[in-house]
Amino acid sequence: MLSTTPRLALSRQLKNFRRFATATTTPAEQPVKDKSDTRKNVLEYRQIYPEFLPDPKIEFRNPIREKLERSDMIARRANVDIPEFYVGSVLAVTSADRHSPGKLHRFVGICIKREGCGLRANFLLRNVIDHQGVEILYDMYDPTIKGIEVLRLEKRLDNELLYLRDALPEYSTFDSNMEIEILPEGAPVPVNEIKVKLKPRPWLDRWERKNLKGVQDLELPQRFYDRAKELETPWEKYDLMKQYMRTVPEEEQVEIFSEVQTHLHRSGAAQKLKRKRTFVKPTKLA
Amino acid sequence: MNQAEISKLVSQLRVRVNPRLRKLKSAGGPEARLDKLRKTVTALIKHERIELNYPRADESRMYAERLISDAIRYGDCHRETMEMADFWLIEKQLVHKLFKVLAPRFVNYSTAYTRMYTAPSVYPEVVKRAVLELRGNPYPSLVPDMHNNRNLIHNVLLDEAKKAYRTQKYEEIAAKIDAAEKSVSEEARK
Amino acid sequence: MALALTTTFTKSTVKFLEERLLLLTISCGPVRNKSKQNPKPRLRNPTWFTQKHRVSSDDNVTLENKEFLKEVVQDRYFNVDNEISKDLASNVIWRPGLQRTGVMARKIGIYPMWLKTGKKISTTLLQVLDNHVIKYYPPEDYDPQVKRVGRIYNRKGCLLLGAEGADPSTFTREYCGLFKDSGVIPKRHLARFFVSPDAVLPAGTLISALHFQAGNYVDVRGLTIDRGFQGVMKRHGFKGMPASHGVTKTHRRGGNIGGGGEKGRVWPGTKMPGHMGNRYRILRGLKIWRINTKYNVLFVSGQNIPGATNSIVYIYDTKLPARKPAEPLPFPTYIGTGEELSENIFDKEIHEFSEPTIVYSDKN
Repeated sequence: MLSTTPRLALSRQLKNFRRFATATTTPAEQPVKDKSDTRKNVLEYRQIYPEFLPDPKIEFRNPIREKLERSDMIARRANVDIPEFYVGSVLAVTSADRHSPGKLHRFVGICIKREGCGLRANFLLRNVIDHQGVEILYDMYDPTIKGIEVLRLEKRLDNELLYLRDALPEYSTFDSNMEIEILPEGAPVPVNEIKVKLKPRPWLDRWERKNLKGVQDLELPQRFYDRAKELETPWEKYDLMKQYMRTVPEEEQVEIFSEVQTHLHRSGAAQKLKRKRTFVKPTKLA
Repeated sequence: MNQAEISKLVSQLRVRVNPRLRKLKSAGGPEARLDKLRKTVTALIKHERIELNYPRADESRMYAERLISDAIRYGDCHRETMEMADFWLIEKQLVHKLFKVLAPRFVNYSTAYTRMYTAPSVYPEVVKRAVLELRGNPYPSLVPDMHNNRNLIHNVLLDEAKKAYRTQKYEEIAAKIDAAEKSVSEEARK
Repeated sequence: MALALTTTFTKSTVKFLEERLLLLTISCGPVRNKSKQNPKPRLRNPTWFTQKHRVSSDDNVTLENKEFLKEVVQDRYFNVDNEISKDLASNVIWRPGLQRTGVMARKIGIYPMWLKTGKKISTTLLQVLDNHVIKYYPPEDYDPQVKRVGRIYNRKGCLLLGAEGADPSTFTREYCGLFKDSGVIPKRHLARFFVSPDAVLPAGTLISALHFQAGNYVDVRGLTIDRGFQGVMKRHGFKGMPASHGVTKTHRRGGNIGGGGEKGRVWPGTKMPGHMGNRYRILRGLKIWRINTKYNVLFVSGQNIPGATNSIVYIYDTKLPARKPAEPLPFPTYIGTGEELSENIFDKEIHEFSEPTIVYSDKN
């Protein structure tokens, strides 16, 4: 311990020295502004592009792998427009399919789950077609995906909507010819505060234990709630280190997003243009 | 799956983070483990230097660092940070110390906020002991600062070696320059 | 004639008697001789097995002196132009019988790639480290402790490689001495690779990821993750027993391990609980899908390569006869021709991420 601390401290000091050295070359006011700007961007980017953040598990991390992965993601994003979307948004995915007529397949559905980091990022779309619930899991960087359209951009109250499987079918039914709903420019992403009505038990999961916000009263006997209360772990939110190990520190996020920022910016601009164009299209049709 | 949580932003810790957290042999489960750590963190903030078993010191060091870094980052007007401070500091007057004394003290630090030394253990015991302290504490330093002691024998020897090495290097460079000048002048003569 | 006979007889008898006497005297000092007659097998480590790490202690060296030490290391190992002689290119062209050297690499993670058909495959990234040749032991000099039985055809020499240069001050003097002849900076990892005498490389040669080619197959050896003492369900993938229906205390146990009667014992090789992992294992016949020349990374098929992420693995040309390359490999290793290579070299079947979206037509 004694031997390692000074060495570590030294390297850290050197790092900081370098950081300050770059900062002092520019006028005094600018760096502060720049710093706050990049911080702001990070705050935005991590919501829009969460898959650019690496797996926070320390054993699995490697800077070179992460760098290669990011460059591949950017290379793929240059060929396909992967828009901003959230769990709860309604998407239409067009993908190459060998077996469908015209060799293309379009699926409309609500995004009920979004997970994975890097090239493994994926999302789960759900729809009810002919009274039959259908779910398709798409890899975001799959080269067979021709395009992703956001038909309705919104968030829900929960981070996962897997309970829609046990909800009444009307909550996950979407018209496949649905038109794009345009948000006014610069408006924040709306949060849909709809409360879903679940079917009576049996369910696929014990939803009363998941602390869900987007469901109506579950109408269960009291013993279910008692058991859920027994299994709660209220101390876990105070475990600072557990929290820390599930996140990527801000310094690293700034580094990552400043690296990919220019590329993302370019694709983001293209995205906006495209959205405007698609706005024109339906009016023509109508 | 393995995706980073994005709801919270944290500053990077300046201490090594173990890949797995220790269980610390707590009979009451994870809740009791946190209780144990709370006591240690409170004691550290209160006394600024404590001696304890190594595993517990190493574990509570990370928690203390997190608490201080959050206090610096968000300040005392942030509700979640205040809740954390309220949970982690059993003696409530220490909450004031955290936000009004420690946060200003460490705000410009570029190193870790705590320091840990291995401590000797008394003979029949074989448990590894450690001393954990906050940096900038009022106590005298535990180890003498020898980093700039030029009179240590190996530093003296290295200084001499450095002189000899440099002179040799300069001589070689000078010889090279001379040779180059000679060749240039010879060419000019021709 | 008779005289001659007698002389020989007397000589032989004398010799015989002497031997008898000697034996008798030997029997007086029993311990010392017994060991000579039947010596114990002695552990004989390879010559490069020495104490590696210096006892780390803070020497209180001043900052200027630390800088000076760094400068000396820089001058000694990096500011010298130790160009490897140009005779690296040999006239021998690779043929199936010749064995090239392997390399040391670091397993840095796993990520998916897609084929041109749209199929998803998972690949493991192996970063080839800065492998330098340290020493070569010709077949007649190399004397391994465990010898092969029987006649050996195509004797192989042994090439000692080092990877991952590090600060020499962290190593012992003895360990640093191993690298003296090759002139490379002391390395963290050493490994031996058996090579055909034709495939020998001079000391100090750097081996890059381009030693291998995209589309070829390799074998990868690594130390599996140490999982400690494990039960049969985890160790051998047994099914266990039901959770209910009258089952008591045998939910994760193996069950019966053999019959009675003539076979009334535990047969060797029976799958039972025990230590799992921490063993060297080789995964054979992995295809190289892509090579990144900037970071020296091989993208190899599979996600079950032995070892944890960030652990060292050893890569060899494959031994599987059906996966041997059809075209000659760079022999004895890749020599840069000076022209710039593209950053990524892909296999023919791989869909590059920068390529446009896959579209199926009626033909395929």
